[in-house]
Amino acid sequence: MLNFVVRRLLYLIPVLAAVSLLTFLIASLLPGDLAYVILGDQATPEKVAALRHDMGLDQPMWWRYLSWLGQVVQGDLGRSFRTGQTVLQAVAERIPVSIELMLLAEIIGLAIGVPLAIACAARAGGAFDRFMTGGAFAMLSVPSFLSAILLIYLFAVELHWLPATGYVPLTEDPAANLRFFVLPALTLALAEWPGIMRVLRSDMIATLQEDYISLAKAKGLKPSRILFVHALKPSSLTLVTITGINIGRLIGGALIVESIFALPGIGRLLVGAIYTRDLIILQGVVLLVASGFVIMNFIVDMLYAVLDPRIRHGHA
Amino acid sequence: MTNAAAAARGLAPIFLVTAFALGVLVQPAQAQKSGGSITVGQELDIPGFDPLKVGVYDTSANTAAASIFDTLVALDEKGELKPKLALSWTHSDDFKTWTFKLRPGVKFHDGTPFNAQAAKENFDRQKDPANKCRCAFYISTIISAQAVDDLTLVYNFSAPSVNFPGTQTIQSSNNVMHSPTAWKTKGDDYNRNPVGTGPYVLKSWTAGDRMILEKNPDYWDKGKPYLDRITLKPLPDAQSRFASLQSGEADIIWDDEYDADNIQKAQKDSKLFVNAYTGSGAQVYAMNTKSPPLDDVRVRQALVMALDRKKMSQAITNGLAKPASNPYGDGSWVKCKDDGALPEDPEKAKALLKDYGKPVEFKMIVTATPRGRTVGQVLQQFWKRVGVNMEIEQIDQATVVPRAFMRQFQVTPWRIVDLADPDPQMYANFKSGSPVALANYANPELDALLEHSRSTADVAKRTEDYCAISRLINKEAIWFWTFQNTYYSISSTKLKGVSKMYNGVLDVSYAWLD
Repeated sequence: MLNFVVRRLLYLIPVLAAVSLLTFLIASLLPGDLAYVILGDQATPEKVAALRHDMGLDQPMWWRYLSWLGQVVQGDLGRSFRTGQTVLQAVAERIPVSIELMLLAEIIGLAIGVPLAIACAARAGGAFDRFMTGGAFAMLSVPSFLSAILLIYLFAVELHWLPATGYVPLTEDPAANLRFFVLPALTLALAEWPGIMRVLRSDMIATLQEDYISLAKAKGLKPSRILFVHALKPSSLTLVTITGINIGRLIGGALIVESIFALPGIGRLLVGAIYTRDLIILQGVVLLVASGFVIMNFIVDMLYAVLDPRIRHGHA
Repeated sequence: MTNAAAAARGLAPIFLVTAFALGVLVQPAQAQKSGGSITVGQELDIPGFDPLKVGVYDTSANTAAASIFDTLVALDEKGELKPKLALSWTHSDDFKTWTFKLRPGVKFHDGTPFNAQAAKENFDRQKDPANKCRCAFYISTIISAQAVDDLTLVYNFSAPSVNFPGTQTIQSSNNVMHSPTAWKTKGDDYNRNPVGTGPYVLKSWTAGDRMILEKNPDYWDKGKPYLDRITLKPLPDAQSRFASLQSGEADIIWDDEYDADNIQKAQKDSKLFVNAYTGSGAQVYAMNTKSPPLDDVRVRQALVMALDRKKMSQAITNGLAKPASNPYGDGSWVKCKDDGALPEDPEKAKALLKDYGKPVEFKMIVTATPRGRTVGQVLQQFWKRVGVNMEIEQIDQATVVPRAFMRQFQVTPWRIVDLADPDPQMYANFKSGSPVALANYANPELDALLEHSRSTADVAKRTEDYCAISRLINKEAIWFWTFQNTYYSISSTKLKGVSKMYNGVLDVSYAWLD
C-alpha cells in the first residue's frame, strides 16, 4: 500500500509542473497588455515601456515563467498590483466560502441523487425509473444561472423564506450562514444530482445482475439488505470518481453562482482578477485551484484502493 | 360593490397621487430623522482606497469614498458649488493660481488635524514621479501645492484652469483627502484601512462581501450624518441585485440603463423609487480619419446621418437612453442653440455615399460583452440600410484602450463621463497631438477654440466656444455621440435625501430613513 501511495505521489510532480506551465501560459496569453491596463488613459508609449520594464514584462516569457516558478516553489505566489494583497492572503480569506459551498452542494447532490438511483435501479425500466431518467436529463440541461434566478425569485422575492444574496461567516452566526448558503448550494446541486443518479443507477443495475447477488437472493436475504449492503458498495466506484471530479467542476460553477448570490468566494476572486487583468492573482489562484483538483484526484485514487482491493495490489 | 364604491375606488389613486405630489412640494419642511442603518447594493468589489495602489476609483469605490472622505468643494442640489473642506476660494487673474481658505477645526478619523499641510501632502504624494501613481495623469496641469498657513492652500497651474473648484467635487482618488499620518503608519495596509474626515468611519471590511461604515460622532457638519450605519455590499449580478432590493436585503442599489427591464419595473412599483440623473457627457465613438474609407468626410457624415438614435434606444434600453447630439448633454452648463448636429436622414446618407462612389466597408471595435455586441449589431443594421458594410470586431474590454491608443481601429467606442467642466475631456479628446485625440484629426481652428475655452472665465464666451467646437466636430463627423449619460439608483421609498448622482456617483452620505 505504501509503495502504491509513493508511486502515486511521484506522478503528481509532472502533473503539477504541467499545471503551473499551463496556468502561466493562459494568464500571459490573455489579450490586453498589463501595462496598458494599469496605465489606462495615460498609456503613452514611454510610460508603457517604463512600466513593462519595472514589471519585468519585457523579459522573454520562459524567463518570466521560471522566475515565477522559482518564487512559487519557495511559497511566494506574489501580490496583487491592485489591492496589495498577497495571493495567499486573498485565497485564505475566500477559500472557506467556496469550500463550504462545494461541500454543501455535493451533500445535497448526493442526498438527492443516491436515493433516487437506488430506487430506480431496484425497479429498472419501471415507470418511476423512466420518469426519473428523463427528469434527470432535463435537469442536466438547465444552466445554473437560470436555476439561480428562478430560485431567488421563488424563495426570496415571492415567499421571503430565504435571502437573495449575501453572506455571514460561519464563525459569526452558523444558522444565518446556512440560510445564506441554501440557495447557492441548491443551485449547484440541481446540476449535480442528475449525473450522480445516472451513473450510480447504471452501475447498480449492472451489479444487481452479478452472480453473487443471485446467490444472496437465493439465500433469502431481504431485498433492502441486498440493495444497500451487497450492491451499493461495489457500485459506488464510479460514483467516487464522479464526486471527485465534481468538486473540480463545482469550482467552475462557483464562478457564476458566487457572482449571482454575491458570495465572497474564490470564484468571485477569479472573475474579478480576469476583468481587471490582475495576472498575479489569476495565476496564483488558478495554480492553487488546479493543484487542489489534482490532489483531490489523488485522494480519489486512494479511495479506490480502499474500496477495491484489486487496485491496491496492482492487478487492476 | 355599488357603483358609488367602485367610482370611489377608481378615484382613490388620483387622490393618492395628488397627496403625493403635495408631499413632494412640501418636502423641504420634512424633518430629517436620525438613526437606522441601510444596505447599499453596488456593482463591483472595491479594490481599495490608496491612490498609489488603485490609481483611480471605480463607481463603487466613489460611493464609499463619498462617505469616508470629504472633498474641498461639493455640489448642491441645483448643481452650484458649495463649501465642504474649503470655506471659500479665489483665483488669480490668469487662472493659474487658486487659493482655498480651509474649514478650521476639522479632524481626520484618527484624530490628526486636517489643514493645508495635510492637503499639500495628499497632492505631493500623488504628484511625486517616484510614486508612479496612475492618478497623476489627472493632476498633470497642477505644478505644485503650497500650504501658505494652517488654513490657506494654494494650487499653482501650468495652464489656465478656469473651473478648477468644479472639478474638485467628484469623490475621486485625486480629490478626497486622506490622513497623511494614516498612510505613513499603515503602509501597505492603508489601501484597505482608509482614514478620512468624512461623515462615516470604516468599521470593518470583508473582501468581496461587505464594508461596514459607522457614523462619525465628531463630524464637522453638526447634526450630520443621519444614519448610524451604512453597509456596502458588492452584488455583481444585476438580476440578483434587484431581487435583493425587492426582498428588502438592500435599501438602495446602483443600476444602469442596460438593466432597463428592472428600472421600468421599479418605476411602476409604489414601494420603490428610481433616482435617475442625466449628467454631462455622452456615449461616444471615434472614427479614425487616417484610415480609408473613413478619411473621406462624406463617408463619415453618411455614417452619422444613417443613425436613428430613438430606435436605437428602443432596441437597446427599451427607450430609456436619451439621444445625444453633442458631447455635453443636458447635465452640462453648456447649452447650444445650434450644436451643428447632422440630420438623421438615411436618404441624404445614401446620396453622400453615392457621391463618394466606392463601396464602403470597415471594421468597428465593440467590447466582447452582451451590451457591446448589441450596440454593434444595431449600428450594423442602420449602416446596412444605406449600403455600408460594417464588420463587428469583438475584443476584450481591457484591450480597447491599448488598441485606441495605438490607433489600431477604424471605429472604436469611448466615453465622455459626467464632470463639472467639459475642458479636461474635450481638450484631451480633440486637441491635435493628444494621446486620446483618437480621430487622428488636426485642425488649427479646433485647437484655437479649445485653447480659448480653457483660458476664459466668462461662461457665456466659453459656451460660445464649446458650441462652435460641437458644430465643427459634428460637421467633420470625426466622432459621433449616441446617448447621454444617465445614471440610476433604485431605492426603497423610505430612504430619503440621496443626492443627485453627480459624476455618476451614488452618494448616500447625507441620506436618512423616514
